[in-house]
Amino acid sequence: MQSESARMTTAHEAGFRVQAPNSRPRAAKVIALDATAAALLEPISRATWHGAAFFTSMNFTALTTSGQPLDAWLKDVAGHTMNLMSEVAAADFVVVVAGAGEDARAVSVIADACRMHSKTLVGLIVPRADDSDEAITASLKELRPYAKMLVVANGADYIEAMLTALRA
Amino acid sequence: MLRKEQNDYLAQTGPGTPLGNLFRSYWMPALLADELPEADCPPVRVKLMSERLLAFRDSEGKLGLIDEFCAHRGVSLWFGRNEECGLRCPYHGWKFDVTGQCVDVPSEAVESGYAKKIKLKSYPLIEQGGILWTYMGPPEKQPPLPEFEFSTVPLNQTFTTKRLQECNWLQAMEGGIDSSHVSFLHRGDLSNDPLFQGAAGNKYNMQDFKPVFEVVPSDGGLLIGARRNAEDGQYYWRITPWVMPCYTGVPPRGDHPLHGHFWVPIDDENCWAWSYDYHPTRALTEKEVQAMKDGKGVHVKYVPGTYRPAANKENDYLMDRAAQKAGRTFSGIEGIGMQDASLQESMGPLCDRTKENLVSTDNGIIMARQRLLKAARELADKGTVPPGVNPEHHKVRQAALLLKHDVPFSDGAKEALKARKGVRQTTV
Ligand code: FES
Ligand SMILES: [Fe+2]
Repeated sequence: MQSESARMTTAHEAGFRVQAPNSRPRAAKVIALDATAAALLEPISRATWHGAAFFTSMNFTALTTSGQPLDAWLKDVAGHTMNLMSEVAAADFVVVVAGAGEDARAVSVIADACRMHSKTLVGLIVPRADDSDEAITASLKELRPYAKMLVVANGADYIEAMLTALRA
Repeated sequence: MLRKEQNDYLAQTGPGTPLGNLFRSYWMPALLADELPEADCPPVRVKLMSERLLAFRDSEGKLGLIDEFCAHRGVSLWFGRNEECGLRCPYHGWKFDVTGQCVDVPSEAVESGYAKKIKLKSYPLIEQGGILWTYMGPPEKQPPLPEFEFSTVPLNQTFTTKRLQECNWLQAMEGGIDSSHVSFLHRGDLSNDPLFQGAAGNKYNMQDFKPVFEVVPSDGGLLIGARRNAEDGQYYWRITPWVMPCYTGVPPRGDHPLHGHFWVPIDDENCWAWSYDYHPTRALTEKEVQAMKDGKGVHVKYVPGTYRPAANKENDYLMDRAAQKAGRTFSGIEGIGMQDASLQESMGPLCDRTKENLVSTDNGIIMARQRLLKAARELADKGTVPPGVNPEHHKVRQAALLLKHDVPFSDGAKEALKARKGVRQTTV
């Protein structure tokens, strides 16, 4: 036989793909950077997720530069308080969600934690229908230095679509 | 990851399917104009979105795209005689015009009016930019003609080819918006390919293998920006536009022609990969056109007399392990077009996305899927005209440029991303 490749790419052969799972769910930490984003995350957090945890607010006592332990706490919808550093340490990736034009300065604290633990930070800007281009631009500017992937979502349902696609 | 139902929903484009209806909202490339070069030339079989059709040019040069099969007893009209303003079936002599109207049933008297009652399904076929375009949706919803820059510049500024790709359209198209594969799969070609080499921007690709991405929705689809570090507080941005449902543009390199693709479903397990190359302000040089004909850049070499690539699954795409080992090519396959096609076909005729593991840099793909799903649903539920139908959405250009760190590409590249007549592309 000259080559088996021709047969390998038939629909029939595709039926013989190994059916064993090839990955485990990802632990995603999804953090709202402002009240608008928190309101969006609330209903999403009630769905069933494999490895996603949602936080609707963050408090920090000190803005520290890399290398320093951070004093920051995340709060989930149920009101539980978690330590930012240990949450990030346990994450596969971290998503910050921002409303367009909102104050997103907290991202720098989260980015520090991500850098310390070598975790990917994804920035998701979720504009409302009536948000201006300037508001979106301002958010992009604020998140750009920190995110490895920066996304302007076309609607709040993108948060779910993305997390599902990433197996969170 | 997609659930099986979502995967099928996005992959199937036959008549009556949701994605099929979405595709039938747009003008789509159907054939190269060269395939029907003159009046009364041989007809051409065309399968699009799982419908078998026949294209022909009648004695007056009029174009037609009709049901492939004779209304009498169902033989392929490809065997027909193209003469005297119609295609005559060689079996019993029934004759059809470019609109599919039967104009002669020899066994019945003309006066009987029998022929008038027979009509094959037909779709409009128009010529623009060396391409024959069709619209396969409801006639009352036919949109204005497409206005992509590559097909509206003078003919000496543009060159288009097509190749058969033996896999579902979506996995092919996703390759077109998957900016993160370029630094790996096409690594060797930046310096070797005549249609890529020599651009000042190439060095940024080679210096920084960890691009950072930004995905921003546009009116007609998406803009996917990949930035790499450059000197003086700047980023080198490469911005890929996607226009729904299946047009992608590759960011330029130097003054080389701009290129990109249309990914058009043939059926659920095959598609046409259309590849264009054009320059907004100058004629293509003889050398460039020759390189394209020789299968360089995004074009490929063919099995003679066909649109099937010479490197194909039957010959393992002419895999060259020595070139792979030596790093002349990253995958061992020669040419950008076949590097993409070989891997996309290797996923199988219809990729099983329940098994994939996407990462955050795949957000362009994730959002494209979401926009397609949403548009198909809104079309089905509310009849909403999908993004990309409006010709204004076609007037977008790919761009490569240097921008200061704090300037978002959607701002800094605003003008660069617009197709403007007589204005050169923005490129590094
Ligand atoms: S590394 Fe992307 S498909 Fe294998
Ligand atoms: Fe590619």
